[in-house]
Amino acid sequence: MDNLQVTPEANSEDGSLCARCHSPLEQGDLRCAICGEVAPAKERATLTTVVTKILRCTGCGAAIGYDIKHQAPACSFCGGVVEEESVSDPMEQTEMFLPFTVTEQQAQRALKQWLANQGWSRPSDLASTATFAGLKPLWWVGWVFHAEAQVSWAADSDAGSRRSSWAPHSGQTTLQFNRVLVSASRGLTNQEANAITPGMNLQTAQSGPGGARADAIIEQFDVQRSQARREVIAAIERLSAESVQRTEIPGRKFRNVAVSLVLRGLHTQRYALPAYVIAYRYKEQLYRVVICGQDTKLVIGKAPRSLMKTVVLPIVIVIVIALIFLLFSAF
Amino acid sequence: MSTSDQANLNQGRQPPGGPQRELGEEDALSIACQSCGAELVVASNIRSTVCPYCASPSIVERPPTPNRPDPTFVVGFVRDHQQATNAVKQWITSRHMFVRSDFKRASPELTRGVYLPAYLYSAISDSQYSAEIGENYTETETYTTTDSNGKSVTKTRTVTKTEYRSLQGRHEGYLIDIVVSASRGVANDALEAIEPFDLRAMRRYEAGMIAGWIAEEPSRTVDECMRLSHDEAMQIIQRKLQGFMPGDSHRNLRHRTNLHDEMVHLILLPIWSFALRYADDQPPLKILVNGQTGRVNGEVPISYGKIALAVAAVLLVVLILFLLFGGAAGLAN
Repeated sequence: MDNLQVTPEANSEDGSLCARCHSPLEQGDLRCAICGEVAPAKERATLTTVVTKILRCTGCGAAIGYDIKHQAPACSFCGGVVEEESVSDPMEQTEMFLPFTVTEQQAQRALKQWLANQGWSRPSDLASTATFAGLKPLWWVGWVFHAEAQVSWAADSDAGSRRSSWAPHSGQTTLQFNRVLVSASRGLTNQEANAITPGMNLQTAQSGPGGARADAIIEQFDVQRSQARREVIAAIERLSAESVQRTEIPGRKFRNVAVSLVLRGLHTQRYALPAYVIAYRYKEQLYRVVICGQDTKLVIGKAPRSLMKTVVLPIVIVIVIALIFLLFSAF
Repeated sequence: MSTSDQANLNQGRQPPGGPQRELGEEDALSIACQSCGAELVVASNIRSTVCPYCASPSIVERPPTPNRPDPTFVVGFVRDHQQATNAVKQWITSRHMFVRSDFKRASPELTRGVYLPAYLYSAISDSQYSAEIGENYTETETYTTTDSNGKSVTKTRTVTKTEYRSLQGRHEGYLIDIVVSASRGVANDALEAIEPFDLRAMRRYEAGMIAGWIAEEPSRTVDECMRLSHDEAMQIIQRKLQGFMPGDSHRNLRHRTNLHDEMVHLILLPIWSFALRYADDQPPLKILVNGQTGRVNGEVPISYGKIALAVAAVLLVVLILFLLFGGAAGLAN
């Protein structure tokens, strides 16, 4: 994921940062989603004397009161509603597109290459017999974030264990997340998205889709901003737990890994990323393969296994070994 | 879509930064309704009122003071009067069997929908903790028992034991969305009982959001509310630390916690308040309804007569069983 490039400041639509955790505040945020700090409001004149107010409808001049039905101040005579500033929770929208740099022909050649390199457990005729059943360019969606996290962790590991196999450990560390991509796709599985992510070069980002035919599928984010933030924070927690397990907790076996984060400067961008979804047929069965739209070396998919090679052959080998053993033991 | 008529009133209030009077000691305010001219008296702890003659809503905005800052947010009412009343009736009928019968028969009288002042607290917690972490292990042990023939036999069994290891560490995290009551009229426990409020629906405070409704001013000082917030924060940290501990179990969890980067903001929360008079010789009970979610809570009068009857019934059953089986055992001997 090191080739992903993110310009952190680009995320903040109105350019303001949270005073406490320095994460960007987006338009419509009344509070910081990370630490709860209140977003700065428009300056109001400070009163020095008591003031009484009566709000009047500009349409009919009648007094306005808060109306439960409209969930807003409304005029009970003409029905006019006053819009108040509220938390806006829009659907996530793609900000940048990475173009396809791999052509459809290159993707098909990459599929053939991949089928030919599937190893001994696959049918020998896989590459020659498999027939191409369809190819669809797809822009799948994901969040790219960077943040600093103060991570407090506690866990059990086998290091320092005595009578029990486990011993408790704890610690703190600071982690930097630079240009980490988290899939938001419903079309690709996490495994598929993770496999082709390293091929994405964010430096090629542009404002619209490019490099693919007109009927390419453009996936939409199907979560609201608040849900997106929860998913990004959950991903950071998961990655933090994996990171401390790899680099901080002593030992080789782990359990009960718990982390608590103080996140700072969480910048998130919404990207559409290119991939080819290819279907091929082998003996009446359809299989799916996903190829990175910017690097043909990154391919993930399903392929049939050879029954002969994976089941019958090992059984035959075992029988032969058993026979040899019997022969030797008889003499 | 709206305009506002304003009238500056000089009621002898101290401007911000001047000498402070205790909360609740201020004078009531006399204002003229700007629709019909009627004179309205607004209590010192009330921020909005409705003219009884022409039903025009007026909002009284006083100069902010350290203990009475301007509201930052407001959560609007979602449940109307009828929905709140139905929720209270359902709540009353679903109380347990030991409440007084006249309580279950009583019908709630609506006081009013009120915007309750509360403080929204957030901070960063930094805890130094220590605990004994229990790590389980199994051992095979031999034991002697008697078999069906009465002979002594030695057997083995696997038992789970726990070794405790000490653990010290540091835990930091954000604490957000702690809400404490800033009104002396509603105890913090009572507010907690009808929480949570969906704070995603809150809006930045504008006078229009409370127009036509009663909105209270804070009657607790910021210091008092900070203490309440700290108490709630400590409970949350205790729960967080309990979930943070590794091992199969733990004991003697202790922590020293520092709260920093603390922020409080005044928020107005929608509450339906009901009075329930269930007996002439008893004061009315206060029942609160969350004006956003419809969650209900209030005091419930216990019927000591019902409890005494239940205890007597259980004792009677025990006595009958004792006489039946005790008598039968006596006859068998």
